[in-house]
Amino acid sequence: MKFSQNRFYIESYTKCANCGVLIYDDSPEDQASLVRHDGQVYCSQWCVDWKRARDARKSTPA
Amino acid sequence: MDYVTMNILESTMVSICREMGIVLMKTSYSTIFNEALDFTCALADMNGDMIAVADFCPAQIGGMPLLIKSCLKEIPPSEMEEGDVILHNDPYRGGLHTPEHTFFKPIFVDGAIVGYAVAIGHIAEVGGMAPGGFSGEATEVFQEGLRVPPVKIKKRGQDNVEVWKLLLANVRTPRVNYGDLRALIAAVDLGEKQMRGVFAKYGAEVVRRNVQDLLLYSERRMRAELEAIPDGIFPFSDMIESDGIDAEKNYPIEVEVHKRGGEIVVDYTGSSPQAAGPINATLGVATSAAYNAVLHMTDPSIPRNSGCFRPIRVVAPPGTIVNVNFPAPEVGGNTETHPRLVGAILGAMAPVVPDRVMAAEGATHCNFVFGGVEAATGEFFACYDLEGVGWGGRSFADGNDAVDSINGNCRITPVEVYETRFPWRIESLAFNTDSGGAGRHRGGLGYTKQMLCLNDEIICSQMTDRHIFAPWGLDGGSEGGKGATLIQKAGRNGWQTVPEAFGKASTSRYSNISIKKGDRVRLVTPGGGGYGNPAERDPEALARDLREGYVSAEAARTHYGHEEGRG
Repeated sequence: MKFSQNRFYIESYTKCANCGVLIYDDSPEDQASLVRHDGQVYCSQWCVDWKRARDARKSTPA
Repeated sequence: MDYVTMNILESTMVSICREMGIVLMKTSYSTIFNEALDFTCALADMNGDMIAVADFCPAQIGGMPLLIKSCLKEIPPSEMEEGDVILHNDPYRGGLHTPEHTFFKPIFVDGAIVGYAVAIGHIAEVGGMAPGGFSGEATEVFQEGLRVPPVKIKKRGQDNVEVWKLLLANVRTPRVNYGDLRALIAAVDLGEKQMRGVFAKYGAEVVRRNVQDLLLYSERRMRAELEAIPDGIFPFSDMIESDGIDAEKNYPIEVEVHKRGGEIVVDYTGSSPQAAGPINATLGVATSAAYNAVLHMTDPSIPRNSGCFRPIRVVAPPGTIVNVNFPAPEVGGNTETHPRLVGAILGAMAPVVPDRVMAAEGATHCNFVFGGVEAATGEFFACYDLEGVGWGGRSFADGNDAVDSINGNCRITPVEVYETRFPWRIESLAFNTDSGGAGRHRGGLGYTKQMLCLNDEIICSQMTDRHIFAPWGLDGGSEGGKGATLIQKAGRNGWQTVPEAFGKASTSRYSNISIKKGDRVRLVTPGGGGYGNPAERDPEALARDLREGYVSAEAARTHYGHEEGRG
């Protein structure tokens, strides 16, 4: 989530492409765990791995 | 761990939360607080983790940790001073829905923040396009009322007058809102004061250490509960009816519960893209629903705090009906979609923990909201009213009758209070025979409330559910009864649906219909699904159902194979 320069309003919302949690641009903790993968933003490596495992499972016939 | 001190502290803190709730109940102006108890009071540690909560509204209990942590990212502790009170309701940054206002106050000991007192309450009127804060036809959040980012409503113990003026200029009932907001502040004031007493008695280090132990204790007990449940991936699908904009469109909910060891992941991937109308849930709602479902399946004696949420992860893809993106509407997500998510999770887990789940409940708060100008005083009134539904049958008992949906734990406003406070006459309020789904254990019953309008005009809106999709049964149980809303205009016979009477798209979600003096409104609430094969129902229980009018003779014959004069 990106604030305007004066922090009076929000310019854009950024959510993890997997779990949907809000990612704050100015949060050191959020930025430290952030992962960019396949052109998308994820809050953590756990979410990248989870999505990858889910996609693999869905593409495998039961 | 020092279990004795930890338990004494835990009980003390829960008592403080209850006391905060009583203050809120007794000092508020609106029936949604002083009758329905649609609020929650809690305490958090310096990191924003919930450390104690009273048994009020589960939707707010599960939503609280995300709410406080979101606020702390915008107003960090370094910017807080003693006597500050922070207010927040923004659904896109940790909030649940626009009416849900969160107040929290830092607790200072020796000049440092040691925790927060928190009160979350549903403000009955928040501005926007419909009196009562629930527009069933909103297409963007700006129509749903005033959005409040984290702001200080009190600074160093003094009112932030500019914030108050802004808040009260944007609602229809400023006098009542003022009273309700003051009641929420009174609750956090009390919590802060009592906790300072706790710190003075035990010392900051003892409290800090025992609170950390308490969170760990809850986490361990939750992990042990989860470990006892078989591992696996458990899917479930459900469907939500019209969003109030498109009457023909339905919205799938997909849940996969991944249970492995002492952890659980609730993955909502595959659920519908977000709706145009206000049935979307926020991330806070989707998270809270997962917590709510897990708490229903596990030992209720585990202390409720952030520790018991640590083994639970939630995957709620953005831009979907379970995690709405700005600026799509969201007010119904917290009341209507939340219970459907809980139901889907319980449905997913039914094969592995059949004794810890129930069949589907009514899953709506009915949310009949209204407002107008009272003829005698010229003052605007507004009401957010919720109604009870039937709960699902369980493996060991029938479903509860006429209680608030699974995420509310709210009381139904008594008829006498309703008539005293608002210009309606309640002509009848009675159970709906046969609305409890048939089963070895029958679903709980919904009811019908019939109201006569006594004012020249009352503007009404509604956000309810289950007019199309009935509550499902489990293990061979039958569906529960559906809900309905019917109108009888003055001087006419017969009843019409809202689309028939007012040309609205949906029977269950609509805004701003004009009810005139002498018109009648009939609210029919859904029942709960049945559990188990109806043929296995105890004959004595069925005989009692027949005697007391819970089940008709025809339904007894059709669903239970009951022959008159036998059993």
